[in-house]
Amino acid sequence: MNSGAWEEVGCAKLWNEWCRTTDTTHLSPAKSFCMFYHLKSNPSVVLCQCNCYVAEDQQYQWLEKVFGSCPKKNMQVMILTCRHVTDYKTSESTSSLHSPFLKALKTQNFKEPPCCPLLEQPNIVHDLPAAVLSYCQVWKIPAVLYLCYTDVMKLDLITVEAFRPILSSRSLKGLVKNIPQSTEILKKLMTTNEIQSNIYT
Amino acid sequence: MFVPCGDSVPDLAGHTLLMPAVSVGNVGQLAIDLIISTLNMHKIGYFYTDCLVPMVGNNPYATAEENSTELCINAEVYSLPSKKLVALQLRSIFIKYKSKPFCEKLLSWVKSSNCAKVIVLSSSHSYHRNDLQLRSTPFRYLLTPIVPKSVQNRIQSLNWEEMEKSPCIPEIDDSEFCIRIPGGGITKTLYDEGCSKEIPVVVLLKFVSEGDNIPDALGLVEYLNEWLQIIKPCCDDPTASALQWKMPSSWRLLFGSGLPPALF
Repeated sequence: MNSGAWEEVGCAKLWNEWCRTTDTTHLSPAKSFCMFYHLKSNPSVVLCQCNCYVAEDQQYQWLEKVFGSCPKKNMQVMILTCRHVTDYKTSESTSSLHSPFLKALKTQNFKEPPCCPLLEQPNIVHDLPAAVLSYCQVWKIPAVLYLCYTDVMKLDLITVEAFRPILSSRSLKGLVKNIPQSTEILKKLMTTNEIQSNIYT
Repeated sequence: MFVPCGDSVPDLAGHTLLMPAVSVGNVGQLAIDLIISTLNMHKIGYFYTDCLVPMVGNNPYATAEENSTELCINAEVYSLPSKKLVALQLRSIFIKYKSKPFCEKLLSWVKSSNCAKVIVLSSSHSYHRNDLQLRSTPFRYLLTPIVPKSVQNRIQSLNWEEMEKSPCIPEIDDSEFCIRIPGGGITKTLYDEGCSKEIPVVVLLKFVSEGDNIPDALGLVEYLNEWLQIIKPCCDDPTASALQWKMPSSWRLLFGSGLPPALF
């Protein structure tokens, strides 16, 4: 988002027990909104920043509201998300894995080669990223999910850096400037955000 | 709702729909996995619904690098036209309060597609068995009244045990008797809806406990195979016939990742 001028075009408000506020009438954007921005120079590029957890019984309605109002022709979707490395199933022990690492899942109509290896069976993805990807697969929209497995509970620079390969993808190349300087930019953009974790933290 | 993979809606008239109930030990779902994998059924569409928790992953029936990259979602429909078989696989649990709406939507689709019958593969808690059930085979069946006489006669000729009625309220001595399937998920709802909406539904279930339920799934598909003969039994030896069922590649690591060497 640092590479261009983005204009806020909308938001999706919701509340569930995961939200950090108990005041449901005056929801502050940082806590329970999904914010939508479009690039001023190219309004067909829309970015959604999801600052809240969308519960499983809200995901379908979220999709209908968000995708229902978009023209689906020529649309392409990219989803970025993180999971803890203990969610990753492998025949080796997870302690021997070099995290963070990136895996991808793509719909049938997504023809670009992904920027990282595909997520192997028997691994699966849940929550909103899965809901979005399912929607795109069913309605034949080209979409790709980039999933970063990390061993930290709070977002850090190393985890964010793991997403670097996608900045050179065909879809994002035109949107991101100054890739060698992106580390500096990332440091400035770092805010404390918690990766989706279990309820005991 | 059913969304086809291709451009046209496949004709399912006269087909038998096999489906699992999400039930104890996930036996029904494992059994459907075995059927889809062994018969190499191909995907014909999705059952896109707000009733199931979303999930995605790559092709669980992949046999090679080339076919491993197909994305799969939580409810998909597979078909084997040569045997007029259609299989619905459910890969996640129901969202709260959505199991009955799902059953209604599903059976409405079954009726509009003119499927010949629905076979529900399910399971029930083994600890709920009464003394008689403990001493008999762990397999049971149930038929809705509209199931054709030919199917009823065939099942009777196999000497199968029908699911017994039990007290609706066990604590009350003179309680009425009804069909109860503890741990069976939507099985009872599908059976009741099938009765009231006059849809031929056959329930096949096994009494199981949670644990490694692969042997239970193999048992259930063998039970189904006694009737439907989906794959030809190669000989009378039951252990040999179990080897004919192909376990999908996604059954790896069912009990988690590899163990850290430092543990030992």
